Amino acid sequence: MEKFLEFQDVTYFYQTKESEIHALNKMSFNVEEFQFASLVGPSGCGKTTILSLTAGLLQASEGKILLQNKAIAKNDSRIGYMFQRDHLFEWRSIWQNITLGLELQKMNKDPKKLALAEQLLKKYDLYSFKNKKPHQLSGGMRQRVALIRTLVLEPALLLLDEPFSALDFQTRLKVCDDVYDIIKSEKKTALLVTHDISEAISMSDRIIILTQRPATVKTMLDLNLEGASPLEKREDKDFGKHFEMIWRNLSTDEKQTIKSP
Amino acid sequence: MKNKLSKAHEKYLKRLRKDKAIVIFWRIALLACFLGIWQLLADTHVIDPFFFSSPSRIATTLVNLFATGNLWLHIWTSLYKTILGFVIAIVLGLIIAIALWWSDRLRKILEPYLIILNSLPKIALGPMIIFWVGSGTSATVVMSVLICIVITIISMLNAFISCDKDKILLMKSMHANKFQILFKLVLPNALPEFVSVLKINVGMSWVGTVMGEYLSSKAGLGYLINYGSQMLKLDIVMTSIFLLCLLASGMNLLVSLLEKRQQK
Repeated sequence: MEKFLEFQDVTYFYQTKESEIHALNKMSFNVEEFQFASLVGPSGCGKTTILSLTAGLLQASEGKILLQNKAIAKNDSRIGYMFQRDHLFEWRSIWQNITLGLELQKMNKDPKKLALAEQLLKKYDLYSFKNKKPHQLSGGMRQRVALIRTLVLEPALLLLDEPFSALDFQTRLKVCDDVYDIIKSEKKTALLVTHDISEAISMSDRIIILTQRPATVKTMLDLNLEGASPLEKREDKDFGKHFEMIWRNLSTDEKQTIKSP
Repeated sequence: MKNKLSKAHEKYLKRLRKDKAIVIFWRIALLACFLGIWQLLADTHVIDPFFFSSPSRIATTLVNLFATGNLWLHIWTSLYKTILGFVIAIVLGLIIAIALWWSDRLRKILEPYLIILNSLPKIALGPMIIFWVGSGTSATVVMSVLICIVITIISMLNAFISCDKDKILLMKSMHANKFQILFKLVLPNALPEFVSVLKINVGMSWVGTVMGEYLSSKAGLGYLINYGSQMLKLDIVMTSIFLLCLLASGMNLLVSLLEKRQQK
């Protein structure tokens, strides 16, 4: 399969008053088209930095980031970003929230885009709520709205920054299934950042395990679990084996960091 | 068709209505008690009605002032200056707060000056204002603006700066420019703070007007208070204070209506 997103020896430093922080070190990995990939690693290793670099919100200090074999530009329209919290604007209706991106890019009069927004709302059972305000929706519904807001812009690549972390466990499992279903049925390529190993295994085709900062790729794991949804994939016989392998990788890295002077 | 309410819900709504009625009753009772006790103390000369006035004396003064036809002029003069000062302070304060949000550097440069201006008692500038802009309406309006503008700038700037960074990042990820971030996120997000600033400034702009009228004016409620105290006509002072209360409450009511509309 062709490489869809490619990190080539990407290094990133960020500056603080106290010092220069070496966040990423010669990071290389790739994600194939329509793949659902996850980044897991110790806390503070730079997972969100990787998403910001991919979205063009930050510029790499060294190395290249390619999407569909073209370098990522600032404000690259091929990329959609979904954050930890839904960040719906409370003063706007659901419809106005969904069409926010279209409005910003002056496409809110485009009948094709508006039809897509309507179609997505209908498909994911939110159409009857289009004139409601965000506070009238449940946590799971709000996350679906946030995802549709991103999908309406028809990005080639979706970046998901722990989008389920603010939800309670039961809602989280349900929303995980919903988001996975939406991404797969809309034929999108996705890169997820998560702290939750089970979530990563149940949703991903590929897991990229990172080291402590300065982060680099420790290992990559391609998965092919049985099941149509993340919830079903949790029942796969190899689920536990993968969990243990990732856990071992992450914990040895933590130990090494503690030992290092 | 209305859904039939359950008994428990009906009971709950009844309790809410009862709570509201109790609050309104006690508000009115408190005012009636205050006025009654005041009148009683004045009638029995426990307090000297010459110095403390009484509700009946205020009512008589009010009727007399209306009869002369001058009271409308005083009310209108003060109201006009207050509204003018209020609007100028809000508009100018908002524009300055936006400029300071827009430019980090400008904000850092002007921050200490804003702090000094905020802590300065503006009344101290009174005599200088008369020299700078002349006496009368302009001096009063400038005083009102000076009292309201700093608090407007500081409060609105804080509201702009505290806008969720992730929401700004979300806007940037959807390719918003700075204008779009301002008008579609930062300003609407700061609306509750804006309403609070309006509420604070209703009182502050009246303070500015009365101060200004004390310093230099030929009409207005502040002028009446000054005139009444100098001529020892303390009923006029109390009547003017009563009118100030009514007018400030009216402006507050308008802001509250705006707040309710915004919350819908």
